[in-house]
Amino acid sequence: MYALLNEEQLALKEAVDSLATTVGVANPIDLESREPVQGWDRLRQMGLLDLRRRDQGSPAAGGVEVMIVAQSLAAGLVPLPFVPTAVLATELLSLAGASESCLDEAVGTGSKYGLLLRPDLTALSFAADWPDSLVWGGADTRFVLALDSSGDDVRLVRYELSAPLSNNLSVDLTQGLWLTPTATNEVVGDPISGAQLQAWTALALSTIGADLVGIMRYALQGAIAYSRDRVAYGQPIGTFQAIQHLAAETHVTIEAAYGAVCYAAWCVDELDPDDALQAARTAKAYCAAVARTATENVMQIYGGIGQTWEHPAHFYTRRALLGTQLFGDESTQLAEIARTRLGGI
Amino acid sequence: MDYRDSAEEAEYRAGLRAWLEENVQSGYEHAASQQERAAIARTWHRKLYEGGYIGQSWPVEWGGKGLSPAMDAILNEETGNFNAPPLPGTAGYIGRALQMYGTDPQRTRFLPATISGDIQWCQGFSEPSAGSDLAALRTRAVRDGDEYIVNGHKMWTSGGQYADWCLLLARTDPDVPKHKGITAFLVDMKTPGITVSPIVLADGSPETSEVFWEDVRVPADQRLGDEGEGWRIAMTTVSYERGPSDIGFISTYRKSLAELEEAAAKKGLTSSAEVRARLARAYVLGEVLRLNVLQQLSLRISGRPPGEEGSVSKQLWTHCEQELQHLALDLFGAEAVTGQRPDYLHRYFMSRPISVYGGSSQIQKNIIAQRVLGMPRK
Repeated sequence: MYALLNEEQLALKEAVDSLATTVGVANPIDLESREPVQGWDRLRQMGLLDLRRRDQGSPAAGGVEVMIVAQSLAAGLVPLPFVPTAVLATELLSLAGASESCLDEAVGTGSKYGLLLRPDLTALSFAADWPDSLVWGGADTRFVLALDSSGDDVRLVRYELSAPLSNNLSVDLTQGLWLTPTATNEVVGDPISGAQLQAWTALALSTIGADLVGIMRYALQGAIAYSRDRVAYGQPIGTFQAIQHLAAETHVTIEAAYGAVCYAAWCVDELDPDDALQAARTAKAYCAAVARTATENVMQIYGGIGQTWEHPAHFYTRRALLGTQLFGDESTQLAEIARTRLGGI
Repeated sequence: MDYRDSAEEAEYRAGLRAWLEENVQSGYEHAASQQERAAIARTWHRKLYEGGYIGQSWPVEWGGKGLSPAMDAILNEETGNFNAPPLPGTAGYIGRALQMYGTDPQRTRFLPATISGDIQWCQGFSEPSAGSDLAALRTRAVRDGDEYIVNGHKMWTSGGQYADWCLLLARTDPDVPKHKGITAFLVDMKTPGITVSPIVLADGSPETSEVFWEDVRVPADQRLGDEGEGWRIAMTTVSYERGPSDIGFISTYRKSLAELEEAAAKKGLTSSAEVRARLARAYVLGEVLRLNVLQQLSLRISGRPPGEEGSVSKQLWTHCEQELQHLALDLFGAEAVTGQRPDYLHRYFMSRPISVYGGSSQIQKNIIAQRVLGMPRK
């Protein structure tokens, strides 16, 4: 039993942390200057887009590596669709046994694949619901993956957009959620089994959990650094017990969330899909329960400046608000956990 | 990262389970009195010793097995699963203090008897005016030839009535800063001048004790470490209080939650969405604690001595248990307050001091802020 990152995993974390400082945003003005295609290329050069491609049936990297990358990219507020495109779309295509050319395209120049989500963001959407669904992906998305259950099997459907995405509704300034434009679709690969979908959902939940841990941790670090410098009543505000306890309470929830996310991420490739899903729901339930409060506490420690547009504190809060909803908030997860433990109503 | 047992761990677990099938001591939980419980705990300690299950991660030279701290955790988990009495905790962390700070004659004298259970220890740290501010303790030890004369009053000396020896903190130098004037002693509880009296806790049961020290003569060779080293020894000791033993709590917690789920279902409450969500949240909190403890344990496996991160686990453990008892009261409120479910009321009251003992929640937050997050002190 060893519940911490090994040396290789620590090295990966360090490398992605360092990349994130160059492609991430530090303040709102950076959003205009960041070039998404170049950023995506940097991820590809580091091999981060291929983590879930299969080599003789097994993924190139496990759930833990995905977690490490998602966490570090989120911490750096990297405005690229690593999670929906490089992780979840690639995983879907791999599970369906889509052609190599399709997979090459998914991780090629530009982040071309997005996911179709239900309007309540709790799950992948079905092709039949296209008009009311939302696309989770980058601005350069050309293909959108959805499910189709109209036949005997659940199939993966790929939409090809006839016009670029233009209506971004996302609260998070570093991730896009778009209205669906007109598109044509085709079935891709083989049918997807229930167990495969469970495993995929476990990967989705644990990766979103990792994203939330990344922003919470990094946001708190910033606020603590600020509390050492900001002086009130003749002292750094970090000396005040009220501020210290707020920071300590936040730290406890972040460390707790991290432990749950690590396990969920490890389970993705190591346990049966239903056990992996239970671990992932547990992690997501906890992350969703604490993420908003954590980022609010950070805004509180920053005080007035933390409430302004020009300060990046709201970036973390925004990402927390979105991540909380993606694939279900705390109540959604608790309802599912209750179903497995207490049976249906 | 790998949450599975290694081959060595799996083998240890299998051997332990087979041993527990044959040897587990029952009756602790439903013992009629605290005295009976103490007697069961003593017999259990002896059995564990004879089975080779004490001092798993202690160095071999001091009678331990020299195993990975993972085995301590497995031992805690499996004994919890088998409803065994708690593991003899004081032997674990007072044993550490003896190993680290004892002289060779002290180690030879005390460690074997501590491992075998012939010596049961208690801890004389807190006082009426020194709780969270432990370093403010006022019990005095004054050198008199080859002895020290101890006078004072200790509080929250758990197991004081049944212990053979005490790890005592007393002030030997009142003229230096408070942390520097404290010295640790090993004291035979049968020494004249020691009076133990039970402290009855909020639910009416005598769970702990206070100890009065009146001209108690302690031979100088029973001083642990140097004069003034007591604070460091105390901090080492308390850091070993947490960790693998938390795993033992988790198996108990899982059982309590399963019982509560069953009781709620029997009462027809599990069709309520709110009750379902609260029970599921209790499950989530238990898992979150377990997974945090496994990370703490992994730090220890990789050779790090226990550090301030244990404060995070303590906060999670406190939250977890107090929330569970709130939930039990919320689901069985009328039964709990009308004597029909005295067990829920008892557990509720037992969950309250968790945020006080072993460093209160507020002290833990100070530790996290200043020593983990590096926030500035005034």
